[in-house]
Amino acid sequence: MTLLEAFLLPLLLVIAILVVAFRDLLSSVITLSVFSTVLAIIYIIHQAPDVALAEVVIGSGLMTAVYIAVISKIRTYRQTHKRGEKE
Amino acid sequence: MKVFLTAIILAFTGGALFVNLGSIPDSFLLSHTASRFYREAVVTETGALNTVSAILYDFRAFDSLGESTVIFATVSGIVLLLSRKTLPVSSAGLSLIVKRTFGILTPFVFLLSVYIILHGHLSPGGGFQGGVLLAVITIIFCIIYGSSFDLSRYPPQRKTLIETTGALLFLGVGIIGIALTGSFLGNPSAWRGVPGTLPSAGSIVPINLGVGLKVGAGLAIIFYSMIQKTLKRQ
Amino acid sequence: MIYSLCFVALFMIGLYSILAQRDLIKMVIGLNLVEGAVFFWTITMVREAGGVPIVDLAFPELPMVDPIPQALTLTAIVISASTTALLLTIIVELNRMARTIEIDSLKGLRE
Repeated sequence: MTLLEAFLLPLLLVIAILVVAFRDLLSSVITLSVFSTVLAIIYIIHQAPDVALAEVVIGSGLMTAVYIAVISKIRTYRQTHKRGEKE
Repeated sequence: MKVFLTAIILAFTGGALFVNLGSIPDSFLLSHTASRFYREAVVTETGALNTVSAILYDFRAFDSLGESTVIFATVSGIVLLLSRKTLPVSSAGLSLIVKRTFGILTPFVFLLSVYIILHGHLSPGGGFQGGVLLAVITIIFCIIYGSSFDLSRYPPQRKTLIETTGALLFLGVGIIGIALTGSFLGNPSAWRGVPGTLPSAGSIVPINLGVGLKVGAGLAIIFYSMIQKTLKRQ
Repeated sequence: MIYSLCFVALFMIGLYSILAQRDLIKMVIGLNLVEGAVFFWTITMVREAGGVPIVDLAFPELPMVDPIPQALTLTAIVISASTTALLLTIIVELNRMARTIEIDSLKGLRE
């Protein structure tokens, strides 16, 4: 239990609460990426560099891109659908 | 009513988790004979230095084979759900500055991923992490240059070919293990070399390469099939 | 002790998001939080002090942390990424068919 960890664990909880509390999906996804990064720092403190590498690359890199692709896909579908109804 | 039910479920789950976790003794993992065996036998039995890689790709390699099967099933499901007969028409991508910058940067991303895959038995990393970095190259192509660039440079047929090559490499190493050591995915002692050098650790290096190709191509297919209809309208 | 508390708190936050949110993507995000909590607990449950689980050939007798939880977590991270991608794909298809991703508006699923 180092000093850095005493700072990081409350930060992790605050970020997790923010992820759930945001109404906007995009803010929520970006905060989830920050959550993964903080988790990776904790893994490095606990001597797990392999897991930290995987968490950074997958959790905060790839999955954020997939989430944003899906959100933009849903929004694009809704906009074109609404436009189709008006015309 | 709904809030009340949610609160009850949360309270019970939290209490049960905390009570059960608190009853695990502190020396729980010290007495594990498996982890002691892995720590003592990693250099003599596999020739690798990274114990996590040795567990994933040698001692428990069958587990990693099952995991590759899960990724294959996921890719099949996603492609099946999202497959339409629409040709991807893409955006023009981002501005010229971003394109030039990533033109310089992307080869180094590729170099880093190959380094992480090939040095999986010596340093942190391995097939999974390097493979995901390979998939990041597809994301860079799709977002910065537009998905038609990704289609021309790196078409889905070639991604499928790379994924199949990775899976067949993994299985082929397993069958060579049957021929040389008598067990599936066995580590032949003739390939082990000197521990600590790059061509060492027997079958771990080709299995790393196979898993890296498989994971990279699989996740690239997932991202590509998700983005291809989004960019069509722009 | 403090890690168990932190794990239970993270798990509860994710479970609340799964149970109480109406947006399906928010529920998947909650599932990701629960997975992150379980990974966190698996890594921090190793009480034994030691170095990185990589053998140093010059000092082969140095203590290292338990490598098994790290290997299990590494497998689980990749699996969780692929299941999340599959769930998101199903949500996209659901949005195309039912025109909504709010859980209360999905009338057709009850019949």
